[in-house]
Amino acid sequence: MSEKKKKENPEDSKIDEILESSRRDFLKMVGIVGAASVAGGAAIYSGYRHEKAKSSGETIKVLTEDNRLVEIPKDQVKDYKPDLKVLQTRGRLGIKGKKWVMVIDLSKCRNARKCVAACQGAHHLRPYEYHINTLVMQESKNTPAYYMPKTCQHCDNPPCVSVCPVDATFKRQDGIVLIDNERCIGCRFCMAACPYSARMFHWQEPLDAEADKGKEYDVELNVPQKKGTISKCLFSADRVREETLPYCVSACPNGVFYFGDENENAVTNGTTKETVMLSELLEKNAGYRILDELGTKPRVYYLPPKNRIFDFKQGPATEYKETT
Amino acid sequence: MRSILLGIVTFLVIVPDLAGQEWIVPDDKKGKLSTFQFDENTKKSGEKIYSVNCISCHGTPGKGNFLKLVPPPGDPATDKIQLNRDGELFYKVINGRGQMPSFKNALSSDEIWHVISFVRSFNSSYKQLIMPVITSSAYPGAVIKMMLSYNSSDSTIVLEADAVKQNSSVAVTGAEVKLLVHRTFGHLQIDDIKTTDINGKVAFKVPANLPGDTLGNIQVSARFINEDTFGSVSKDTILTAALITLPVSLVAERAMWNNVRKAPVWVILTYSLGLLTALGFIGLVLMKIRDIFIIGESVLKDSEKINIT
Repeated sequence: MSEKKKKENPEDSKIDEILESSRRDFLKMVGIVGAASVAGGAAIYSGYRHEKAKSSGETIKVLTEDNRLVEIPKDQVKDYKPDLKVLQTRGRLGIKGKKWVMVIDLSKCRNARKCVAACQGAHHLRPYEYHINTLVMQESKNTPAYYMPKTCQHCDNPPCVSVCPVDATFKRQDGIVLIDNERCIGCRFCMAACPYSARMFHWQEPLDAEADKGKEYDVELNVPQKKGTISKCLFSADRVREETLPYCVSACPNGVFYFGDENENAVTNGTTKETVMLSELLEKNAGYRILDELGTKPRVYYLPPKNRIFDFKQGPATEYKETT
Repeated sequence: MRSILLGIVTFLVIVPDLAGQEWIVPDDKKGKLSTFQFDENTKKSGEKIYSVNCISCHGTPGKGNFLKLVPPPGDPATDKIQLNRDGELFYKVINGRGQMPSFKNALSSDEIWHVISFVRSFNSSYKQLIMPVITSSAYPGAVIKMMLSYNSSDSTIVLEADAVKQNSSVAVTGAEVKLLVHRTFGHLQIDDIKTTDINGKVAFKVPANLPGDTLGNIQVSARFINEDTFGSVSKDTILTAALITLPVSLVAERAMWNNVRKAPVWVILTYSLGLLTALGFIGLVLMKIRDIFIIGESVLKDSEKINIT
């Protein structure tokens, strides 16, 4: 446009040039003033921070990861929040020297559904989305039915992990099989491969999707859950890291669940908090694993459903009672 | 025979209806008292324990937000709980009934008293009675000490208890003791509850399949059962008394399900060879195309030309 004008009227082009140069000067000025004020502000702010740090002067003693006691200024203490990288690395590795194992005593389950509720609460699941579910089992028409809580079996020979094409589901050194929702592509091969139907798929936007937005993804909790990916029982990997019993285990009011470390040959009951020897418990009660013949080597043991209710009625939660 | 049958029938009739039944505490347990004064610290500690173990059913005291169970657990700030004597509360927490679990293995007696201290803080008219220690002690004025040692010849852990008072020491006899081994989520009891002999000694048999750490060490702790008589004396120590356990990682073996580096050798070999073959074949085809291209570029001599017509 200005090229055209120049050609048409030399006077106009001169005025244009003057205007152009004054605009350039003005912008230059603004730039210098702006930069100076930013630099000045920064200097004042850093000075203020320096003074503040000097003035408080208080220190506190902190124990570092390598067991050194150090002193650091109090105002520089920040709450430690593991970032995604830390969560992913530790989630993949698992806890050294541990071999988690669960024992479920079928003779005590009365379908209180506290385990289901605790699990769904922890993992932000809807009432119809299960990591653990209690099934009604009946061998034949004339035998009384019983309830069977079913979790992921955390197999030592996990078919789900073998078929995963993207290394999203994996086994850790402590035996827990986890799913990384950041890697999962939602192909559902693992769902097809699992003989225990332990996995669920997020067909819809997960519960609390809005509230969980921006939260760091924890592979040991599967929160925030992600639409279009798999979710499953995690043996409460986040809780066992803190040496606390899993959500379902400690929620049970009937003493159904035992959880512990196979290396220690001990499992602790979630209700009574009584610790017993694993080998003895399994031997005395004829413990078994479900679909053991498939060679999946589950880490969940079941104690047989003795003490059945003979007038079995499926309905609201019933209380467990010892019968003599 | 008839009386047994009658007993069974009465049992079956009575037991299912816990809701309408009063929770009766044996008379000798009702009078049990704390040996220490409840104060701000015990209350705080009790609040912490309450928020972990009790709040899920009993709710926040004073708010009435307990679970709607049958029978209802009740709000600890109300008369339902507050009208109990300290000993009754202690008994109920220790033993449990129906859906109220027993906290026998979960909490120590001091911890239960802390919870009671917290619960009592909601009752302004409560006046605490304290158990006088000296009068009930079997060894008044003495300090009871325990020693633990491992006897490898018959794989037993021997406990020796002495009451020490002004340079003189007496063996603690007839005291019931339990021995616990520390495990990840709780304490495993070793052998049965045993009573100290005339020398104040008692031996606990260590199970042959009890695993220790990589050196065979276990953390053991011994406690008197009757804390009223002997005080809450306990002894914690580490003994080399168990099997040496060398934990093996569950992802150490080569397997199909393991990660790429731990895949079976034949898989790695087959995959690598397959990949090389495929790449080689593609390379070969490209070379041949190049050859054809070069031939196409070159000028043919007259003798090489084929006359089709």
